[in-house]
Amino acid sequence: MGGVNTTPATVARAAQRSRPAAIRLTGLSKTFGPLTAVDGIDLSIQPGEVVALLGPNGAGKSTTIDLVLGLATPTAGEAELFGGTPRAAIETGRVGAMLQGGALLPTMTVAQSVALIAAAHRHPLSVQEALERAKCTEIAKQKVSKLSGGQMQRARFAVAIVSNPDLLILDEPTAAMDVEARRTFWQSMQEFTDAGRTVVFATHYLDEADAYADRIVMMSAGRVVADGTPGEVKAVVSGRRIRASFDFAWSAEIEAELYELPGVRSVDHRGDVLTVVSDDSDAALRTLLSRYDHLHDIEVTAHSMDDAFLALTQARSDEPYRQNSTALIGDRS
Amino acid sequence: MSIAYLGLESLRQLKNVRNTVFTFVVPLVMLLLFGSIYGASGQVDPSTGLPWIVVTTVQMAGYGGMMAALGQAFTIVTERSVGWNRQLRLTPLSGMGYLISKVVAALAVALVSIVALIVISVIVFHASLSPAGWAMAALGLWLGVIPFAFIAVLIGQFAKPQFAQPLFMVIFLGMAILGGLWVPLSVMPSWMTNIAQVVPSYWLNRLGQMGAHLSGDVMEPALVLLAWTVVLGAFIVWRYRRDAARQ
Repeated sequence: MGGVNTTPATVARAAQRSRPAAIRLTGLSKTFGPLTAVDGIDLSIQPGEVVALLGPNGAGKSTTIDLVLGLATPTAGEAELFGGTPRAAIETGRVGAMLQGGALLPTMTVAQSVALIAAAHRHPLSVQEALERAKCTEIAKQKVSKLSGGQMQRARFAVAIVSNPDLLILDEPTAAMDVEARRTFWQSMQEFTDAGRTVVFATHYLDEADAYADRIVMMSAGRVVADGTPGEVKAVVSGRRIRASFDFAWSAEIEAELYELPGVRSVDHRGDVLTVVSDDSDAALRTLLSRYDHLHDIEVTAHSMDDAFLALTQARSDEPYRQNSTALIGDRS
Repeated sequence: MSIAYLGLESLRQLKNVRNTVFTFVVPLVMLLLFGSIYGASGQVDPSTGLPWIVVTTVQMAGYGGMMAALGQAFTIVTERSVGWNRQLRLTPLSGMGYLISKVVAALAVALVSIVALIVISVIVFHASLSPAGWAMAALGLWLGVIPFAFIAVLIGQFAKPQFAQPLFMVIFLGMAILGGLWVPLSVMPSWMTNIAQVVPSYWLNRLGQMGAHLSGDVMEPALVLLAWTVVLGAFIVWRYRRDAARQ
């Protein structure tokens, strides 16, 4: 590799750079009377990214999605899709979405719903193809009112993809689904996005964000409190936890020594079990073992997405922590 | 605005069985009832110069067309409450396009209702009129239905689901009685005939009669119906703009 002149790779990279972002939000805010639902969000999502939007209820996820799609007008700031207005992107069929409170009509069948939405688009997929891709072929003739929760979401997915969109926005797509239905759903979503489509999904299920997104944007009280890969977001809650049982008598000197270990964030002990949290758990563990012979029952655990979620979304009342965490993850826009 | 969407949406409304029964059966029963009373004896109504049975048929076809058009109000209210129009806003169909599709659908179901009632009357009562007379009667009624399609859209825009039904009842009862669609105005007191002059359902009926007669001054009904259409249209646009600005 490493050609000096223009190789196909550098040309491709240049093209990528000049391509407008799939989503670009600048200073986006929305207030409803005294309530601030979205509080100055700056975010840029490149074509091909699969992004999870995480946050507790009332964090502003759905309002942000409404603003992105132009279903609501921002109080301040701007939302751009593919370098244009949201409406322009919708009119060219480049955006598909599953919204909360955007239901199908109970009297129609699944196939009829897809066909009617397809008729409103300019260059839709065939109804058959949309149904197949959303794994709706066997429920195509069923009335919407007779569908189960999981089937309903699949039908709505078929409606969302019938315009053959480059950008898919899914607001809690797997709500009301059982485990099996969720797996089937994500499988069809992944098949659909293999061709380099952009996906943004809001979810409450942290494991879904971890498993299916290559970037996580975490929101709390209308702001972005974390933005990074799943690994980076998990790392926000300061590295890994080393636990070990010890036989020696605990003392202030030993505690001070433990604080000298590489990358240590906290040292704690309870009974004869010590806990060291370190950003560099490998090095910390090596040093620990070389200094203290009698440690046993050693455990090293990574923080879970739940830990990161709780730490980040509760950190809002604790300003220094919040700044610390965003600094760790860095600015990706 | 996609023609394919308009066609599919209108077809969907035509196939909506509940609406069809609701809007079609009542005028049909009344036609059969009045038809057998005023009968096939061929008596001529002195005020219009048309056979009684033709007058009754035009009256009931107008009533059916009006009901069919007004019935679209429920479709809009239901679609709003379910969230279907949110889904539609993610398509190239504009908000105005959505309302236009509802007017077109209302006119489509109204036309079916009008033609079906006329055909049944001809078959059952052998109501005799030239084909041109029937065609013009149907056309006159259909044009007269336009303000009602607009009223339906307006109800759809304003009414919450629980108020749509009473609002619909008040409007259609008022229109049917004042316009003389149930009982001919000739048997009503004269003050009612005066009020009827500004009611669109009266002119809906008159347009049908003029069509059947293949004569008459269409200027006055055209102006009254146009005035209604313009005023209602202005209300619809105003409401639509306000909704859009409030988001």
